[in-house]
Amino acid sequence: MLFKNVLLGVFFCFSVLGCSGQKCDLKPAITIWHWMTDRDATFQELAEKYETLTGVKVSFELYAPSDAYSQKIRAAAQGINLPDVFGILGEKRDFASFIKAGHILELTSYMEANNNNWKNNFFPKALAVNEFAPGNSYGINPGIFGVPIDIMTIQMVYNKKLFSQLGLNPNRPPKTIKEFLEIGAKIQAAGMQGLVSGWGEVWMIDCIANNYAFNIMGKDKVLATIKGQVPYTDPDWITVLSIFKQMKESGIFAQGLVTMINKSAEQLFANEKAVFAFNGSWCVNVYKGMNPGLEYGAMLPPQASEKYPMAIWGGAGSSFMVNARSKNKEEAVKFLVWLTGQDQQAYLAQATNNLPANKNSLSKIPDILAQFSRGMDYATHPNIWGVSEFSPVIEALDRGIQSIIIGEKTPEAVAIEVQKIKEREMAKKKAR
Amino acid sequence: MCGVKHVFYYKSKKIVVNTLIHLFLISVAITCLYPLLWMISSSLKTQDMIFKDISLIPNQFRLENYVLAWKEGGFGRNFFNSIIYTVSVVFGIVIISSMAAYAFSRLRFVGSKFLFIIFMAAMMIPIPGSFVALYVLLNKLHLRNTPIGYILCMINVGLSTSIFLLKTFFDKMPKELEDAARIDGCSKIGIWWHVALPLAKPVLAVVVVFNALAVWNEYILALIIFDNRKFMPLQVALQSFQGEFVTNYPLLMAGLTITALPIILVYLLMQKYIIKGVTQGAIVG
Repeated sequence: MLFKNVLLGVFFCFSVLGCSGQKCDLKPAITIWHWMTDRDATFQELAEKYETLTGVKVSFELYAPSDAYSQKIRAAAQGINLPDVFGILGEKRDFASFIKAGHILELTSYMEANNNNWKNNFFPKALAVNEFAPGNSYGINPGIFGVPIDIMTIQMVYNKKLFSQLGLNPNRPPKTIKEFLEIGAKIQAAGMQGLVSGWGEVWMIDCIANNYAFNIMGKDKVLATIKGQVPYTDPDWITVLSIFKQMKESGIFAQGLVTMINKSAEQLFANEKAVFAFNGSWCVNVYKGMNPGLEYGAMLPPQASEKYPMAIWGGAGSSFMVNARSKNKEEAVKFLVWLTGQDQQAYLAQATNNLPANKNSLSKIPDILAQFSRGMDYATHPNIWGVSEFSPVIEALDRGIQSIIIGEKTPEAVAIEVQKIKEREMAKKKAR
Repeated sequence: MCGVKHVFYYKSKKIVVNTLIHLFLISVAITCLYPLLWMISSSLKTQDMIFKDISLIPNQFRLENYVLAWKEGGFGRNFFNSIIYTVSVVFGIVIISSMAAYAFSRLRFVGSKFLFIIFMAAMMIPIPGSFVALYVLLNKLHLRNTPIGYILCMINVGLSTSIFLLKTFFDKMPKELEDAARIDGCSKIGIWWHVALPLAKPVLAVVVVFNALAVWNEYILALIIFDNRKFMPLQVALQSFQGEFVTNYPLLMAGLTITALPIILVYLLMQKYIIKGVTQGAIVG
């Protein structure tokens, strides 16, 4: 009897739940899928505001964490179930594969309408991440395929209070590597911790190594190296690798930097236990949560050469794409035009501590965010170089820098190793 | 004199060995309990206090974190969903796997060994590897974004291991008991229901707890197949506190504490059977 009752109960649950998934809503609405937990509440507020203004309902659906979101997007693309607007996480080749499969609407004509009215609102480098240039290696027709919602730059930050304790001017961070290394000696003498960063997650080492490579040899030579025209054993690359040796010897690095994860680095800096940090602009939000009273400033990594300008990684932090198959695509584009307007972008930046993609919103955002935004003048990103380095080469370079920092290898030895891997990978590619 | 020495020697040896065993067990218990205590302690702190104050006892107890987590995470509906999914999936697995295991153990039919090997092979497939395939299948069956689709997937996920556990048990079960039931007029279904299932209680407890844990903690499949938040289980709601760069630790820890309670309760209720199941060799291999 009990078994029958339980069976009936479960059958009833199945019936009720099975039916509840199918619901018809005739009201026109735009659905947006995203992964940005910290921005969800603000997105919802803006959606309500847009509905009041236009009568168009916008639903922001949050699917976190980001890796699960990526899986959802891929599965939805396979099943042709993508929403009206969505974001793609990953590398540019993933973005390209979605375009090739016909999932993404080209936005160039919308961007360039009325004398580039929409396009001119954005930082050009933020837009570049969503753009495919003529003759790109992905085989995509040139054009703009995404809308940057916010931007990010990866720079250095310094603790103003600890700067004062070291007898330094808290409003004048070091501009050259020489000044930076001199501070290393002071940090050591004071028994403090110097630079913290997530260099255990090797991509951040790659980022700073590229910064110095651009500064020492210029963009063209870096890209020539990636194309295989300049070897990693070139004296300029040895100079780049030697900077890490010099920094280590000066005492500027915090203990355990090589294996440090970024979360630990953020905690150390937020708790005023480190003088410098190398981190992305998202850190403003992180530090605010960990220590709201922290006094710090943003700075470019100190320049090692005057020959070329310092470069930092930056560009679109997150972007939205419009589903080319959506019946609401025109409405979706209109909403994105509104969302990236000056006032909405300023509101989003103030509420979420992310940098706005609209360059006209800078006057309305907090000073520390504006400091990070100013770095956009120096920003570059591997996604806009048009060529990409082999993953094993990047890994060898990053691991090599770690070896230099722990004193295991010399810059010259690392350069030879990296070049060997580069040649091996190029031979493999040629054989294919 | 010699006897006294011996007694003293064995007593001291026993004390030393027991002390060492207890020290080892206490250290294992601490490593198991510390994360739980840290979770509860963090759920009562503010975000900045979590990073500044590492002590387990907070200066101020912020009980409102639990209210906020419940409200902001939308726990009410998700909690109900998780209970429905867990009960339905576990019930489905218990019924199907016990029938299948009994059939594999007792019935002779063509291809039984091959079918069993196929089920066992399914245990080797990592679940995330089948997500896209499951999504496409559910889409074609018009079961995507429906709770029934999710429940069927989760039943499927838990079947292989449960069949394996139950078949191992049924293989060892004395056949005489079934013969007696047959003489009393029991059908095959009757023997399964009146004889096999009651005897398999300890193994069923293991199956229930293992699968309940798996369903309760699952979120990636749910996130992929559901578009509508109202169908999401509790674990998906928890993810909303965890961002790419910023995590709301107090609310996340409060949410985790709320989430852990029902499953701890299930374990405590079935503890007796689980220990019996484990000691009787329910978990083989």
